[in-house]
Amino acid sequence: MGCGENMLLIENLQKSYGQHEVLKGVALKVEKGEILGFVGGNGAGKTTTLNCITGLVEQDCGKVMINNVPKSQSLDYKKQFYFIPDTIHVFPNIAAYDWIHFVLSLYEKTDDAKLQSFIHVFGMEKSINKPMGTYSYGMLHKMALITAFTISPPILIMDEPLNGLDPLAVVAFKNCLKEYSENGGTVLFSTHLLDVAEKICRSICFLKDGKIVLHESVENLLVDGSLETIFMEKQANEG
Amino acid sequence: MALSKKELTQMTKEFKIVWLPIVFILLGLTQPIVMYYMPVILQSMGGVEGIMIDPTMAKPEGREVLASTLNSQFDQLGIIILVVALMSMIQGEKANGMMAFILTRPVPILSYLNSKIVIHYLVAVICITLGYAVSYGYSAYLFTVVPFKEALWALAFYCVWLLFVITFVAMMSTFFKSPAVIALISIVVLLVCRFIAGLHPFIDAVNPASNSLSAANILMTGNLEVGDGIHIIVTLLLVLLMITTMHGFIAKKKF
Repeated sequence: MGCGENMLLIENLQKSYGQHEVLKGVALKVEKGEILGFVGGNGAGKTTTLNCITGLVEQDCGKVMINNVPKSQSLDYKKQFYFIPDTIHVFPNIAAYDWIHFVLSLYEKTDDAKLQSFIHVFGMEKSINKPMGTYSYGMLHKMALITAFTISPPILIMDEPLNGLDPLAVVAFKNCLKEYSENGGTVLFSTHLLDVAEKICRSICFLKDGKIVLHESVENLLVDGSLETIFMEKQANEG
Repeated sequence: MALSKKELTQMTKEFKIVWLPIVFILLGLTQPIVMYYMPVILQSMGGVEGIMIDPTMAKPEGREVLASTLNSQFDQLGIIILVVALMSMIQGEKANGMMAFILTRPVPILSYLNSKIVIHYLVAVICITLGYAVSYGYSAYLFTVVPFKEALWALAFYCVWLLFVITFVAMMSTFFKSPAVIALISIVVLLVCRFIAGLHPFIDAVNPASNSLSAANILMTGNLEVGDGIHIIVTLLLVLLMITTMHGFIAKKKF
């Protein structure tokens, strides 16, 4: 688990779209250095929670703080995290390398050696100077991960980061995540791949119908069986 | 700075930085040439009843030609071209998710908007200046020379009107999702503003298109009037108001 210091704090997060109540008082504490997997069925509210945390969506009610910086302090708050959405938006005719440099400049980061090392880790040396319009879905995710690890913010927030990644990239992702976490970085990511979450995450958070129904360390959860079994049980019991 | 650089790169990749100046150079070229060859054009049309060519008709002066470049070419076709070229400046990024990406990074909304408006405005100013310079040159060559200082003052006033045009298109691009709606509203509002300029002093006081009229007046008379300064102040206030409105709209996540 983490080192006891709260990196992400969410209290009573509520969000509705019209009459549809998506989040019904989500409360969550993520400690520094923790790798938290955010799991739940389709429509459980995972993406909406991540969107509320990142400021893409404004919550109706509730409090969000990252590294003790409240969401209301917009600019300082946004410096505390790097968000990789499910769909990576890019300019098709701009080279990935130039794009990464642009994003790094938004975070006032210029460590080219670090960037080169992550390009190498994800095996993107040959394609990094190509226009992003020629990239596959997986390559776009690799590019986003290279950017995220180069920036190394206090917390990484990712929506389905493993989608489209080839097996080598998944291994590279696991290694980078481990190193990042050992250096004090915190990770929060949503996923449907429970077997991968079981291997990567230190704790798991189950979201169902806009509420957190379980937040436990993987170590403790696995005493009762695989994550898949627990997920099925939770879906059945709470439903 | 990074955002402005990104805007410029994007405009370069879309070749706007190439074709927009060419279009405005052609527009600038058209007015003096058409006015110079007008008698020949009318004669060559031959047989059109009711048209009488007066050989003693006074040749227009360079200042009249330059003023009509601003009022006829740039204020009509020029505005339509600018609106069509720039209507997606914010709408495009809303549609493809780029705006959401940038605004979840440590970027103030104001910096985002400013980079959009400043870069598009600078490109528009360069285009207009090139077209105007060509028109100035041809007016001097084919008609009479317009004092450089007066031409420069007229251009400065026209650029204030241009700032309103760009900011207005940016605001429409922020509010609406459909490029067709953005183009339609922008073209109608801007052309109406231009057509009603000079109709009534009260309307002129709040009409940003009065700057374009002031530019034409400076060229025609060579004089600056007190009211011209007021038009600039009112236009700048309107621009500030539009930027504030856009900021509020984006801050409320209405995209």
